[in-house]
Amino acid sequence: MILHPGILALELGSALLILMLLYSAGLSIKILRHWDINSSSELQLNLERKTYLTSTIINYLLGYQIVSAILFIYTVDGLHTEFVGAMCATGTLNANPIGWYVLYLKILNIFIASIWIGINVLDQRSRYYPLTRLKSAGVLIMLPVFVLDGYLQTRYFLGLDPAVITSCCGALFSSQGSGLASTLSGMPIRLSQLFFLLATVFMFITGLLSLKGRRGLFKYLYGISGPVFFLVSISAIISFVSLYFYELPTHHCPFDILQADYHWIGYPLYITLFLSAVMAMLTGIYEALKSRIDEQSIVQGLQRKLIVTGLIAECIFIAICLWPILFSSFTLKGYYL
Amino acid sequence: MEPLIRVEGVSKCFNRGRPNEIWPVREVSLEIYPNEVVVLKGPSGSGKTTLLGLIGCMSRPTAGKILVKGMDVAKLPERFLTEIRRKTFGFIFQQFNLIKGITVKENIMLPLYPTPLGFKEISQTVNTLMKTLSLEHRADFRVEILSGGEQQRVAIARALVNNPDILMADEPTAHLDSKLSKDLLEILNTLKSKGKTIVIATHDPLVFESNIVDRVYEVRDGSIRASS
Amino acid sequence: MKKHLKILEFALSSLLRRKYKNLSIVLVFSMVTFVIASILFLTHSFKKEALSVLEGAPQLIVQRLIAGRHALIPVSYIDEIKKMPGVGKVSPRYWGYYYDQLTGANYTIIGLDRAWSVNGRVMEGTALAPEDIGYCNIGFGVSDRRFLQVGDDLFLQDTKGGLYHFKVKGIFNMKSQLLTNDLVLITKKDFINLFQFPPSMATDLVVEVYNPSEVTNIAKKIKERLPDTRPITHDEILRTYNSLFNWRSGLMLTMFAGAVLAFVILAWDKATGLSAEERQEIGILKAIGWETSDVLALKFWEGASLSIISYLTGIIAAYFHVFFFGASIFAPALKGWSVLFPDFRLVPDIDIYQCFVLFMVTVLPYTVATIVPSWKAAVTDPDSVMRG
Repeated sequence: MILHPGILALELGSALLILMLLYSAGLSIKILRHWDINSSSELQLNLERKTYLTSTIINYLLGYQIVSAILFIYTVDGLHTEFVGAMCATGTLNANPIGWYVLYLKILNIFIASIWIGINVLDQRSRYYPLTRLKSAGVLIMLPVFVLDGYLQTRYFLGLDPAVITSCCGALFSSQGSGLASTLSGMPIRLSQLFFLLATVFMFITGLLSLKGRRGLFKYLYGISGPVFFLVSISAIISFVSLYFYELPTHHCPFDILQADYHWIGYPLYITLFLSAVMAMLTGIYEALKSRIDEQSIVQGLQRKLIVTGLIAECIFIAICLWPILFSSFTLKGYYL
Repeated sequence: MEPLIRVEGVSKCFNRGRPNEIWPVREVSLEIYPNEVVVLKGPSGSGKTTLLGLIGCMSRPTAGKILVKGMDVAKLPERFLTEIRRKTFGFIFQQFNLIKGITVKENIMLPLYPTPLGFKEISQTVNTLMKTLSLEHRADFRVEILSGGEQQRVAIARALVNNPDILMADEPTAHLDSKLSKDLLEILNTLKSKGKTIVIATHDPLVFESNIVDRVYEVRDGSIRASS
Repeated sequence: MKKHLKILEFALSSLLRRKYKNLSIVLVFSMVTFVIASILFLTHSFKKEALSVLEGAPQLIVQRLIAGRHALIPVSYIDEIKKMPGVGKVSPRYWGYYYDQLTGANYTIIGLDRAWSVNGRVMEGTALAPEDIGYCNIGFGVSDRRFLQVGDDLFLQDTKGGLYHFKVKGIFNMKSQLLTNDLVLITKKDFINLFQFPPSMATDLVVEVYNPSEVTNIAKKIKERLPDTRPITHDEILRTYNSLFNWRSGLMLTMFAGAVLAFVILAWDKATGLSAEERQEIGILKAIGWETSDVLALKFWEGASLSIISYLTGIIAAYFHVFFFGASIFAPALKGWSVLFPDFRLVPDIDIYQCFVLFMVTVLPYTVATIVPSWKAAVTDPDSVMRG
């Protein structure tokens, strides 16, 4: 099982990423122990230089983690033929229950790395390295999560047994059945649409208010709207948006839209969703870190950029979701409504 | 008048705590006022180059304060030091330090690459600069085939391209004959008349005895001896 | 963004200025990419070809085993199987292998007993019909070896040494050549005569099942009722093929891990061994106002350009190697069929997935190898150029 080229690539990738992260964790421990901004010793100078190495590593890490997540979905998708009953990525993920955790972890890792980079940008714009300790601690938090990802991924691939009869997305994302996925796709479409609408409006309005007003409250609310919007949107994609892309009333799969058959529409869809969520979260996080930065105008300028990017991404995301709903001849009337 | 640069009790140490510990600059204090030509005079090894680097925000002092336009830069992180250096200082090095293999024009453009300026704006700035230093006929030549005097002018153009307030020159006449040295002083004089402040580290009498110089600091063993 | 464009420009000119040093990296990098890409493309297209044929293949095949060996199956089993609920049509298949002494090759001979469609395969001439006694369809490999055109005669020796001749009615070419290459298609009557095939026997049986999800159940039942048979489901063949090909390419990849490692060491060595001139250049850049992160960006663009050039060169070379030159270097290790194929051309087919895999096993190791050396170069002291 393990000799599949995709699996080899993923395992190699994880090993190398963890290796890089281990290295920068070593640097981070040094920084945490010896950091003293008021010192002009050579040690301090060296540490300051090492912060560049850490941020370079994390930048690469994010890039490769994104590639790794896509590769993981592709590999899992390509493996489906080896399992009785599996018809796409979902089936292979079900063949060994750890698979889902690996996927969740990969997405979580992308979030963590992006937020780290966001904090790094703020830190580099301000004098005297105000967030260096926080960043170093962040690397130390990242390490176990990435290691866990690598470990579970290995366990997952080692534990894949082609003899297992699995269920495919048809079974998993069908209205019948138990489990989170079925609950999501079995959720009354009206309810799901309502949640989606509420989350969208909530994010948009808090975003606009934080752009206009000076109150921190709205920025925190906008920050909170990030993860909420992400989760609600994912469930909306599974519950009803995907149906319109597939033009099938029963196909709820969140992965198939990444395929060429659907013009790779999944990529812009997930990228804009991800961007809107991360930008919102970073706006809130910047607000919380504001007191540590000596020049408030830097924070505000960056927040502005974040909010504008986030709102644009949100609009594009919504447009992509609505496009087939409004313009395709396919309708859910008679199936669910 | 407020000095442009004030150096207060600055020392610099290399290899601290190791057997080869050295202090090329010790407890130096000096002031540089706008539109002055200041010379740091001293034999080689006296620490004047290190001092020039400290004043020009090339490196951070081990102790003491350096105020550039009123801001203490001694403890600024490297990226801010770089920013100040880019906005305030232009450097002419002893060895010219041009990048071989690329053209005169590219060499002069290099300091502006990390700025938000576009290619077009940079190109325009560089073209006018090359004209004033009569280098435009050499624009697309590789720097290594130029004569010493021309290379020197390319180095000056590169130092001026970011329109700095202060021009720093380290032994600018070391590789020039007396005629070219006089030409150089002529150029520096023109720059002075345009309002630039110039700091020169040198032991060439032709330079420190020149009438464009306003102030001379004598550097000996890392300390300032007497000023005139 | 503008800033990165300028830095990229300088990065490219820097690469060009150190042609020979960088050329060696590009060469080795492309070689590694080329080898791995060839393996991936080759297995992928083999798999694709095999699967494209299987697509039209029956859901369930029943073979008979005697002493663990594949044996002829009595046609009477058909009725036995037909009785099972959920089973549709059951039909016999007649096929076998023929060793041709003339060319030293093995042909696959199929006896046709009902109409069939060309099934998207490109064919010169026309398809054989069940009543075309004395005619045949042949694969491209056969026609090439025996210098046959449509309308020529194909001679085959029967079991007693007599010669049969078949007029060539059509020749398969291009698509799915790998599987039709050695094919000879004749009618069932001719087949029985040629091989003295025992009557009321068939090579195997094809079972049609109404509900696809019932295939596994029916296979189980057949095995229970007729214990000397071996039912093979379509999915099973697919799975076997898939894992076989994946395993093979995985194995080859592992074998080439050494090559990747050697390349990484080279990249590390080249990146660490900065020449005095390069070190001075970075010092100059720092001194004239480049910041550490700008130099890091410069190094990033240098690495990215090198990677992209080598990666694309490797992929394109592999593409030509596999799809235009028949993967002459690796085919024997991966093909696994008898090596009789005189010449075959694979249908070009690449997907992004393979490019991602390739990216992970070549560009990522290169990045990891060069990250620390680039940083070391980037933190060069700006005043290093003054100290001389």
